[in-house]
Amino acid sequence: MATARILIVEDNPLNLKLVRDVLTVSGYEVVAAPSGEEGVTLAQTCEPDLVLMDIQLPGIDGYEALRMLRQNAQLDSVPVVAVTAFAMREDRERASRAGFDGYLSKPISVRSLPSQVHEYLNNGRADVT
Amino acid sequence: MRRYGVPGLERGAIISGRGGQVDQEDYQSLQRDYTDATDQFAAMNEVLIALGRSSSDPDAVLDTIVESARRLCRSEAAAIFLIEAGQYALSSSVGFSSEYVHHVAEHPFALDRASLLGRVAEDRRIQQIPDVLDDPDFGRQDVQRIVQFRTSVAAPMLLDDEVVGAISLVRTAVDPFDDRELALLEAFAAQAAVVVRNVHLVRELEERGQELGRKVEQLEALSEVGGLVSSSLVLDEVLSNIIMNAVRFSGCDGGSIMEYVEDERCFSVRSAYASSPELLAKLRTIRVDLSTTLVGRSALEGHPIAVADLGAVELDPHLRLLYDDGWRSMIAVPVLRGERIIGALVVRRKTTGGFPDETVEFLETFAGQSALAVWNAQLFRELETKSAELQVASQHKSEFLASMSHELRTPLNAVIGFSEVLLERMFGELNDRQDEYLHDILSSGRHLLQLLNDILDLSKVEAGGMELEPSTFPLRGALEYGISMVRERASAHGIEVSLDVDADLDTLDSDELRFKQVLLNLLSNAVKFTPDGGHVRVAARREGDRVAVTVTDDGVGIRPEDRERIFESFQQGRRGAQSEEGTGLGLTLCRRIVALLGGTMWLETELGAGSTFGFTVPIDGVADTSRHAPSTDADLPVVVVVDDDRASLDLMTAYLDGLGVRVVLARNGIEGLELIRTLTPAAVVLDIRLPGLDGWEILDRVRADDATRAVPVVIVSILDEKPRGMSLGATDYLIKPVARDALVGALRRIGAVPAERESASSRGAV
Repeated sequence: MATARILIVEDNPLNLKLVRDVLTVSGYEVVAAPSGEEGVTLAQTCEPDLVLMDIQLPGIDGYEALRMLRQNAQLDSVPVVAVTAFAMREDRERASRAGFDGYLSKPISVRSLPSQVHEYLNNGRADVT
Repeated sequence: MRRYGVPGLERGAIISGRGGQVDQEDYQSLQRDYTDATDQFAAMNEVLIALGRSSSDPDAVLDTIVESARRLCRSEAAAIFLIEAGQYALSSSVGFSSEYVHHVAEHPFALDRASLLGRVAEDRRIQQIPDVLDDPDFGRQDVQRIVQFRTSVAAPMLLDDEVVGAISLVRTAVDPFDDRELALLEAFAAQAAVVVRNVHLVRELEERGQELGRKVEQLEALSEVGGLVSSSLVLDEVLSNIIMNAVRFSGCDGGSIMEYVEDERCFSVRSAYASSPELLAKLRTIRVDLSTTLVGRSALEGHPIAVADLGAVELDPHLRLLYDDGWRSMIAVPVLRGERIIGALVVRRKTTGGFPDETVEFLETFAGQSALAVWNAQLFRELETKSAELQVASQHKSEFLASMSHELRTPLNAVIGFSEVLLERMFGELNDRQDEYLHDILSSGRHLLQLLNDILDLSKVEAGGMELEPSTFPLRGALEYGISMVRERASAHGIEVSLDVDADLDTLDSDELRFKQVLLNLLSNAVKFTPDGGHVRVAARREGDRVAVTVTDDGVGIRPEDRERIFESFQQGRRGAQSEEGTGLGLTLCRRIVALLGGTMWLETELGAGSTFGFTVPIDGVADTSRHAPSTDADLPVVVVVDDDRASLDLMTAYLDGLGVRVVLARNGIEGLELIRTLTPAAVVLDIRLPGLDGWEILDRVRADDATRAVPVVIVSILDEKPRGMSLGATDYLIKPVARDALVGALRRIGAVPAERESASSRGAV
């Protein structure tokens, strides 16, 4: 089985480093983009199996980036998980309303991140029917 | 008699603080001043009214009038009667026997033609009966027999065209009163009427004082809730009344009441009576300076200053304005409170002339009354300003905290995350010291994060921004969840955690997340303060329509003096050495959240015997159920609405409001299915795209279960898949956005909504 490729869209270098290191150690291939625009561009070329999308981003935010990803038929089946530091329920709901397939709130749990990612990869797009 | 110093230094400090930073102390000191002023107002009011009575004691004055009238009109006896409750009551008399006094008290004169007094009241003019024995209409022979009088005269006391009483004279011989005597008696009657007016005024003043007291109370209540409802109107009304009465009673033609503005050392006109709008407007634009005007001088010197002829003195800008407007004499009366200048009362005439001592004295009484009213107005205005500023400051504080905690959270995530990475040995082994320090870094990071979360929550509660999300959840499940979160720590310290739930408690209709947050907070405190090998007991009991949850520990207990304090922010009881672990906000937050949930929180503790923290929450619904109040009636048919979108739920709830159904909401598939199974509703309104269990799955399971097979399900979804829905057993299929009529129509066809139960008011509300 080929290594799953995970695209991380995250503007904070420390957070990015943390998530990337944890996932790399767990055996995933990680590509990263520091902004929504670059994330969307990169997604078209690198064909990720899963996208971890920060919500608060410079330029276009995570919601807008998700909308752009969804417009691309080729990427339509890629699950996109929202990652945000807003530990508030409203954000979780907003993310689910916006069509994200999952939600990870910061601080991410280093211990459970690999298994969460594994689950999202297996479930694919959550509630598309 | 009075001393005047530099006006209120300490107050000056408060006022000068107005433009600067608002602090709580200023505010509280203001509020104290306000309370003091109110108390003193009540006390001073009583004193003033007593003074007002004795300085112009109406009874004494009436006695004087009666005696003068009797003497000057050469009669044997005289009496003043006041009309009270539709008949004459004897008020003052001279020359009559006590038998007469008792008799008329028991058999008062009616307002009819049987007595001279009655006729006077009807005819409203002076008249006499030359010989009562010769008067066929005279009906009070009983009185005549006692007094043996023959000629009688009576004059009405008129006040604003109303007969308020009468003065009556009698002669024992038949000896009619001549014109001079009649004119004299009329004058005495008019004088008596003025006294009565005085009595009325004092009484009115008294009522006004009480009214003001009541209003001040109301204002206090308002200011306490931070309401900015304008009270100035109320106080202006009181001030208008004071100046009106001052002018009318002193027999002057107009006047105004001024407030002293300490910051600017000048007076500003607050209210005027019998003054043209033009004059009032002009009075409000000019500066009535403390040091250069007559009004200012009277305030500085602390006594009234009168000007008998404005044409004969040098005019300051204020007096010039009055003179140009046609006023010719005036008196300025300072309004003082102790040594403090509060304002001034200015009463004026269109004619020249001095002011008698009684008038000056009376005006000083009025000035005393208005001192407290103006003082209250000033304090209240400051309170209003401070409240508004405090509110803004509080808003800023909340916003600042929200953004700060977000900014702090990001680096903190890195601290926590990298510590975890290393502790997970993702990059190799660690020596013991490294492991220990990394644990220290991790626990400190988590502690900081908890602190941030608490601050954020608390600021949300304080800003009124914490929204509750009511849902129905199993109580035992929530309690077990809380216990599971502290189990690891508890077992590390050999602490046993037990749970005891009343058998008749099942589900709770509250905010699950907040409920768990409170529980977890109490639990982690309990575990923290229980010695190794101890016992923490969690219990849930039904108390009427509430559930009481208690968490009991084996700790050292809390000292009596700490029992209330530990609920305050950043206060920890001296419960143990581990105080560095708490955020100091947990209990404050818990108490606020419990209050939001509609319950209360308490503490039972005994030093050395542990503590019990308890809280109640309503079993059916949080405090904020008013919006859905009509749908909480337990006897109504139930409609379960399953939708993950809050806006949709709100809309559906609004659509179904007032239709005679109870609406129960579920935010996800699992919860929805549970509710359908437990409630067997009259209908289900089901969304398809749901987190967890989707709508197709729910429909499938509902149809597969004998117990719920017959429950009508209306699918409301953005997905246009009606054939699939109908084939899976949906009763109806509507595509979002759905109109109210479509939804209600579908529910009516099913029979879940009774036909035309809708009330007119609910139709208007949608």
